[in-house]
Amino acid sequence: MSNESIYLPRPATIKNITKFTESESLFELVMDDNRPLNHQPGQFVEVSIMGIGEAPISVSSSPTKKKSFEICVRAVGNVTRAMHRLKIGDKVGIRGPFGKGFDTEFLKGKDILFIAGGLGIAPLRSLINYVLDHRADYGRAIILYGCKAPHELLFREEVISWRKRKDIECHLTVDKVPEGEHWDHNVGVVTTLIPKIDFNPSTTYAVVCGPPIMYRFVIRTLKERGLAEDHIILSLERRMKCGVGKCGHCQINGIYVCQDGPVFNYSEIKDLPEAL
Amino acid sequence: MRYVKIYNEKMQEFLERLKNYGKLYAPVKISDKFYDRKEIDDVKKISFDCLRTIMPAKKFFIPPYEELFEIDIENADYKEKIEETEPFVLFGLHACEIVALRILDGVYLDEFPDIYYANRRKAGIIIGLSCLPDEYCFCNLTRTDFVDIGFELFLHELPDGYLIRVGSPKGHKIVDENPDLFSEVKKEDIDAFKMFEEKRQKLFKYYGSFDNIRYILELTMKDKIWDEEAEKCLGCGNCTMTCPTCRCYDVQDIPDIDGKHAKRIRFWDSCQFRSHGLVAGGHNFRPTKKDRFLNRYICKNAYFYPLGTSYCVGCGNCTYFCPANINFLENLIEIRRGINA
Repeated sequence: MSNESIYLPRPATIKNITKFTESESLFELVMDDNRPLNHQPGQFVEVSIMGIGEAPISVSSSPTKKKSFEICVRAVGNVTRAMHRLKIGDKVGIRGPFGKGFDTEFLKGKDILFIAGGLGIAPLRSLINYVLDHRADYGRAIILYGCKAPHELLFREEVISWRKRKDIECHLTVDKVPEGEHWDHNVGVVTTLIPKIDFNPSTTYAVVCGPPIMYRFVIRTLKERGLAEDHIILSLERRMKCGVGKCGHCQINGIYVCQDGPVFNYSEIKDLPEAL
Repeated sequence: MRYVKIYNEKMQEFLERLKNYGKLYAPVKISDKFYDRKEIDDVKKISFDCLRTIMPAKKFFIPPYEELFEIDIENADYKEKIEETEPFVLFGLHACEIVALRILDGVYLDEFPDIYYANRRKAGIIIGLSCLPDEYCFCNLTRTDFVDIGFELFLHELPDGYLIRVGSPKGHKIVDENPDLFSEVKKEDIDAFKMFEEKRQKLFKYYGSFDNIRYILELTMKDKIWDEEAEKCLGCGNCTMTCPTCRCYDVQDIPDIDGKHAKRIRFWDSCQFRSHGLVAGGHNFRPTKKDRFLNRYICKNAYFYPLGTSYCVGCGNCTYFCPANINFLENLIEIRRGINA
């Protein structure tokens, strides 16, 4: 048995910080040992800030980007708030990647309907960019992205570039437009976009990422549009403390979200109490 | 399997000799109602009729509090505190507790082995002891009333001593190195062993099996029994702390007073605490006491695939130590009313 502990993070250095909103920034990280992260889209890492703690955060970049990786962090807890105080060149600890990501092999040749709510765009972007980097391998790519208000839109420039591309469809919505803000797109929760698009339920897989409340409504609307339950793929959020199936915080019945997920097929977990 | 016998007259010497193999821990009576597994100086103080200790044996392998790293905050540097564990002997573990350790092995060693746990497990010598159930015990229903592996020696009570099953190379070593203590098993010992096993089986309050209980539980989750029982619960977490297989932990960085150094610690957590189901942003996956109450029933009765049993080993600790008199066994019996096994 190796004497290396599964709890020991590898040091990484912050290479770049892109501020999106008051509380959300994108951090580009490079592993100090130059070993690539080698993640699958949808996997997460445990980010350590020494003296503050550790938090599970999904990887936001596609593995096709090899020399560095990105995480989109919302300042909401001890670790994530401390993360926002760090500067370029500062160090963090990284463990992982952990869990089961999106099955990029299985999705080949299929139409993909990406549905993101708020920060849900962060894990979803790893798959979106992966698909865009292997565009010919996949069918239609439709992105539905909703957030609370225009100023909360994440990855704004990238989203604009997606909208310009001819080989993807990207639809945006906000819950409401506060006074003084400008918005040219749909207004309403992300589910209101679903009836506005055409897709073929037999060839389409919906990949959904967002806050817990969003799932129930999105799933209901997708089913109304004829999508089968096993054509819905989603990523669950839990407070994974260890990432390696030990600490129990992400356990639902016999399932460990950190090991068996965070990405699940909806049909796998729909009968699991409190999964959604 | 190898079987030997030890006579009562030699037990004291046997316990003394166990100290040659490591620090000896055994159950000691600490108050009218409670026992604890303590380091033993005087072997005469060891209790042989202790059924449950206030802290289960897991504490020797996953301590309630432990330091993982020493952190140098200024230099963002950290080093692990992995220490070799001195050998130690746990005397008097009953079958349920040995199965419980095997369940922890599955979690801690099978995938992504936890080196802290692995070191302690390697250092631990397990001496099992037979028992007669009280009204809290239901290891027969969980099929954990008899254990095949996971011990060095297992002692089965006889009228004039113990029949010993030798369960590991370390167990053989103890027997081989102390030939003066052990004798051959005779026909009357085998008869006495059988009689003990029969008597033991007859003492259980309920018969049959809980193999189907997890499904009955899922099917009855909306029954009002769960509202009534959850209402009684104080949310203290005693049930999970005293459970031999509950193993949820939390991890935190604790800075020193100078702000320059910190320790990363892990400590026992409980799904009965409100904070357990909380995620970033304040959403809680188990917002109500009933959610948390039911979670424990579901989790404990979930199927532990590697062993083919549930996570619950039927020890009765959660009921025995519950300050609100919530009876785990009786609640499960209640929901499966109609099955008269």
